[in-house]
Amino acid sequence: MIRVQDLTKEFFDLKRGPVAALNEVSFEVKPGEIFGLLGPNGAGKTTCLRILSTVLKPTSGLALVAGFDVARSPESVRANIGFMSGNTGIYDRMTAWEMVEYYGRLYGIEEEQLQNRLHEIFDQLQMNEIRDLLGSKMSTGMKQKVSIARTIVHDPPVLIFDEPTSGLDVLVARAVLEAVDSLRDAGKCIIFSTHIMREVEKLCDRVAIIHKGEILDVGTVDELIQKYVQPDIEEVFFHLIGSRDPLMNAI
Amino acid sequence: MSWKNIKLIFLREVRDQLRDRRTLFMVAVLPLLLYPALGIGMVQMTVTFEEQTRSVVVLGVDEIPSPNLIDGTKFRSDLFKDPGGADKLRVISDATGNLEEHEIEEELRQEFTQFLESLRANEKKLQRLAVLERDFRRDETYEQSDPELAELIKEQQALRKEAIALLADSPAEVVILFPAGFKQAYADLTNSIAGGTVTEEMLDHLPRPFIIHNSANERSEIAFSRASKALAAWEDEVLSDRLSHANLPVAFTDAIPITDIDLAEADEIAANVWSKIFPALLVIMSVTGAFYPAIDLGAGEKERGTMETLLISPATRAEIVFGKFLTVMLFSISTALLNLASMGFTGKHMLTAVSQGAATPLGDLSFPPLLSLLWVVLLAIPLSALFSALSLSLAMFAKSSKEGQYYLTPLLMVTMGLTMFCLNPSIELTPYYSVLPVVGPALLLKSLLLEGATSSSVVTYVLPVLITSITYSGIALWWAIDQFQSEGILFREAERFDLGLWFRHLLRDKEETPSFSEATVCFVLIAMLQFLFLTSMQSSPEALNGPVRMVQVQLIYLIATVGVPPVLMGLLLTTNLWKTLKLHLPNWKYLVAACLLPLSLQPLTLELMSALDPFFPPLPPGAEQMMQAMATDTVPLWLTLATFALAPAVCEELAFRGFILSGLQRSKREWLPIIISAMLFGVIHMIPKQQFNAALLGMVLGLLAVRSQSLWPGVVFHFVFNGVQVLAARLTPESLTEGPAQYVFRVGESGTIESVSFQPAFLVACAVVSAGLLYWLFNSGKTSEHLDSKSNLNGSFAAE
Repeated sequence: MIRVQDLTKEFFDLKRGPVAALNEVSFEVKPGEIFGLLGPNGAGKTTCLRILSTVLKPTSGLALVAGFDVARSPESVRANIGFMSGNTGIYDRMTAWEMVEYYGRLYGIEEEQLQNRLHEIFDQLQMNEIRDLLGSKMSTGMKQKVSIARTIVHDPPVLIFDEPTSGLDVLVARAVLEAVDSLRDAGKCIIFSTHIMREVEKLCDRVAIIHKGEILDVGTVDELIQKYVQPDIEEVFFHLIGSRDPLMNAI
Repeated sequence: MSWKNIKLIFLREVRDQLRDRRTLFMVAVLPLLLYPALGIGMVQMTVTFEEQTRSVVVLGVDEIPSPNLIDGTKFRSDLFKDPGGADKLRVISDATGNLEEHEIEEELRQEFTQFLESLRANEKKLQRLAVLERDFRRDETYEQSDPELAELIKEQQALRKEAIALLADSPAEVVILFPAGFKQAYADLTNSIAGGTVTEEMLDHLPRPFIIHNSANERSEIAFSRASKALAAWEDEVLSDRLSHANLPVAFTDAIPITDIDLAEADEIAANVWSKIFPALLVIMSVTGAFYPAIDLGAGEKERGTMETLLISPATRAEIVFGKFLTVMLFSISTALLNLASMGFTGKHMLTAVSQGAATPLGDLSFPPLLSLLWVVLLAIPLSALFSALSLSLAMFAKSSKEGQYYLTPLLMVTMGLTMFCLNPSIELTPYYSVLPVVGPALLLKSLLLEGATSSSVVTYVLPVLITSITYSGIALWWAIDQFQSEGILFREAERFDLGLWFRHLLRDKEETPSFSEATVCFVLIAMLQFLFLTSMQSSPEALNGPVRMVQVQLIYLIATVGVPPVLMGLLLTTNLWKTLKLHLPNWKYLVAACLLPLSLQPLTLELMSALDPFFPPLPPGAEQMMQAMATDTVPLWLTLATFALAPAVCEELAFRGFILSGLQRSKREWLPIIISAMLFGVIHMIPKQQFNAALLGMVLGLLAVRSQSLWPGVVFHFVFNGVQVLAARLTPESLTEGPAQYVFRVGESGTIESVSFQPAFLVACAVVSAGLLYWLFNSGKTSEHLDSKSNLNGSFAAE
C-alpha cells in the first residue's frame, strides 16, 4: 500500500546551507498494519509524511501510496489517503457537521451517500452533541474528533497520522489511539509517527526508528528488543541513537 | 481544473467571510455608515465653525482719503462680499479712543498700546523699507558687483530683520500704514487729474501706503487676504470718486469690457465632480476591499493551521487559489461599489440639504447616466481582479496576518500614487496610458464620467483598456498560483533574520549560476544606478556640453550602470562566472545567424515602429538630443559606434542575457526566463517607444542566448543591429537613390531623410529571411541539453 524507496528531501537553511531532512529512506507498509515512525523532534518524520501526502515534493527517490506515485499523480494519492497531524487544524467559523461535509464534497462523494456516511461517522465517534458547534467554540478533544472524522470521511485505504496525540490530554490521546486501533481492524494501511515510546509499544505492528533523516532500523517491537538485547523499545531507541550520536552516549 | 472544486471552495470561503463580523463590517457596514456619518460631521463642523478674529493695525487713519475705509473697530462691512466678513477682522487704529472702543481684555489692550507706540517710533524705518522693497524685489536678481546697489540691498536686509523682530511678538497679524501727508497729496493729485495738469512727476512723488504681512504665517495670511480684499473694494470706490471728480464715466478705466460666458450646465459640473471622485474611490476601495479578506484567506489560514488541511484534500493548488481568488474579488467589488453608492447618495443628499434655495456652483450634483454607471461596474471587475490576485499573492507569502498587514502599506502607496496621477486634470487617456495597469481603467472611467459613454475617446480605448487589464489580472493570478505551488512559501517559518548571516550565506553557499532573486536584485541595482546617474546628470547640465561630450558621458554611463553590476555580482555571488555570463563559445552556426538576423529584422522593426508611432508619446528633448548626437559628423564615427553599438552590445548582453537570464533560467521553465528578461530589458530603456522595441528584440536575443547557450551570438546580433542604426543615421537621402540602394529604399517627394521608407519587395524579402532564421533558431536547440540547475527553495520548511 505504501512503498518508499530511497526517498530524499533536501531543504535550504541560511545557517547550514542545503540540509537533507530525509536521506535515502526506504520502507513498506501493508494493509491492516500500523507502521510506526519513531524519532525525536527534527528527525524527519513530518517531512516524510508530508511527502507521502504530496504536500512536499521529494528531491529524489520514489514513494508509492495506494499504487500511485506521489510525484506523478498527487491528486490520486490525495484522494486515497486520510491525513491528520498537529498542523491540520479545523475552521473556526464552521460547525463540525459543515466541516466534515465540506471535505466529503471535496473528495467527490455523492450527496446521498455523503449524508449517510456523515451520520455513520458522527454516531461512531459520538459527535452528535457537537454537530452544530462552531470550531472556535470547541475544546481540543472535540476538535481532534472532528479532525478524525474529516480524515476518514471518504473511507480511504491509507491513513497517515503525524503525531496525532501531541498536545492532547491523556483522555483525548487515549480516544485517538483507540480510533487508530479500530481503523487497523478495518483493514486500513496506517502509518503513524510519534516520539512517545508507549504509543509504539501499544499500537504499532512494526516500527522504524528514524534519526537525523535516516532510518536506523525497522522491525516489530519484539524483534528490535531481541536484536539489540534491550529491555524495552525505549532502550532500543537510545541504544540506536547513541551508537550514531557520540554526544548522546556522553550524557 | 475542476469547477466543482473551485465552486465548493469559493462558497465555503464566502460563507466563512460572511460569518466573520470584522469582514462584514469592513465591506458592508462601514461604507453604509461612514459616508452619512462623515456628511453629518461636516455639516456640524461648518455650522459650529467660527473663524477667529484677527487683528489688523492701521497707522495714519487721519491720512485715509474718503470714502470711509474703517467703521469704528472694523472695516466697513459693505466692503466684504460675505455677510459678517467685517466681523472677522479687528481693526486697531491710531485714531483717538479707538483702543477703548474694542471689547478686548485689558492685557491685550496694553499690548496693542505698546505695539502702536513701537510702530510709531519705527515709522521712518518702515517707510524706508517700503521704498526699498518696491525697488528691489526679492524674486529678481541684481548685479552684485555694483557697490552702491549692494549697499542698498544690505540696508534693505537689515531693515527687514528689524521689521521681522518688530512684528514677531506683536498681537497684530497685519499692519497697514498710511504715510503722513498722504491725504493732502492724494487730494492734490485728484484735482490735477480733474484739471488735466497731472504730470509723471506728481504720480512718482505720491507717498504710498503699505501693508506688512508674513506669508509664512498662516494667521497673518488669512488676515492679509481678507484685508486686501476690503482694500481692493475700497480702492474701487476711491477710483470712481476720482473719476466723477474729473467728470469721467465710471466705466472709464474698463478699456475693453470682456464678458465671460460659461457654457457649463449643472449636470456637466456634476459630471466633473464625479469624474474626479469615482475613479479614485473605486481604485482605493478595490485595494482595501481585496486586501483584508486576502490576508484572512492566505496568511490567516496558515496561521490557524487550516491551510495544510486544505492542501491534503484532492483539490489541486490551482483550484484552491482560484476559489480563494474569486472570493477575494467578490469582496473587493462589493466594497468598491458599496462605497461608491453610499458616497454618491450621501454627497447628493448633503448638497441638496445644504443648498436648499440658494444656487450652488455644483448644481444639483445629478448622478451620471445609467450607462456610465454600468461602465463603472464593468471596469470595477478587472481592477478588482488585479488587486485581488496581487493581495492574494502577498497574503500567501506572509507567514502571519501581522506580516500580511505590513505588505498593505506599499501596495496602497503605489496605488494611491497612480490614483493621484490620474486625478490631475491635465492627464488624459492616451494610447500609452491606456495599456498601463490601474492608470488605464482609472483614466477611462474619468473620461466616461466626464464625456459620457459614447464619446470618441471612450469608444477608442475601451478594448485596449479591458484587454490589458484582464491580461495584468491574469499575470497576477498566475503569480499567485505559482506562489502557492512553492513549498518554500507555503511552509515558510519564522526565522531570525540576520543580515550578517545572510551575507555570509550568499558568499559561502555560492552556486554555479545566480538564483532567481539574485537576478532580480541585479536588475533593481541597474535601474537604481541609472536613476542616480540620470538625476546627477540633470543637476550638472554643463557635463553635457556639446555632442562629443554627450556621447562620451553616455558611454561611461552604459559601462558603469549596465556593464559593471552583472560582472561584479557574478564574481561575488557565483562560483562559475564563465557559465553565469555564458562566455563559452557557441556553435559557429549561431554566430552566422546572429550576423544575418539583425540585418533582416532591422527594416521590419523600423517599419513596425513607424507604424506604431502615433501610439507612443513623443520623444523627450533629452532623447532627441542624443539621437542628433548619434547622427552628427562632429563626433568621430569610432566613438559613436563604441557608444551606441559596442558598449550596449557588451554591457546589456552581460546584464540581461548573462547574469539575469542565467538567474531566471533556474526556474527550469523554458520560455518564462526569455519573456521576463525581455520585459526587464524593455523596462530599462525608459522611453516608451524604445521600451517596446527593446522588449521585442529582447525576446529574439533571449532565444539566441538560450538556444546557443552562449552570450556571443547576442553580442554580435546587438552590435550589428545597433551598428546599422548608427550608420543609417549618417546617411543622406541623396545617397539612397542610386546604385543598389534604390532597390532597398524609397525616398518620398519631400526628399528629406524622414520621408525615406523601404521598398515593399525588400520588406517581404526581409520578412521571409527573418521568419526562416527564427524558425531554425526556434527548433535548433530543442535536442541539445538544457542548462542543468538544481532546484532552489527560497526558504525553509519544517525539518522533522
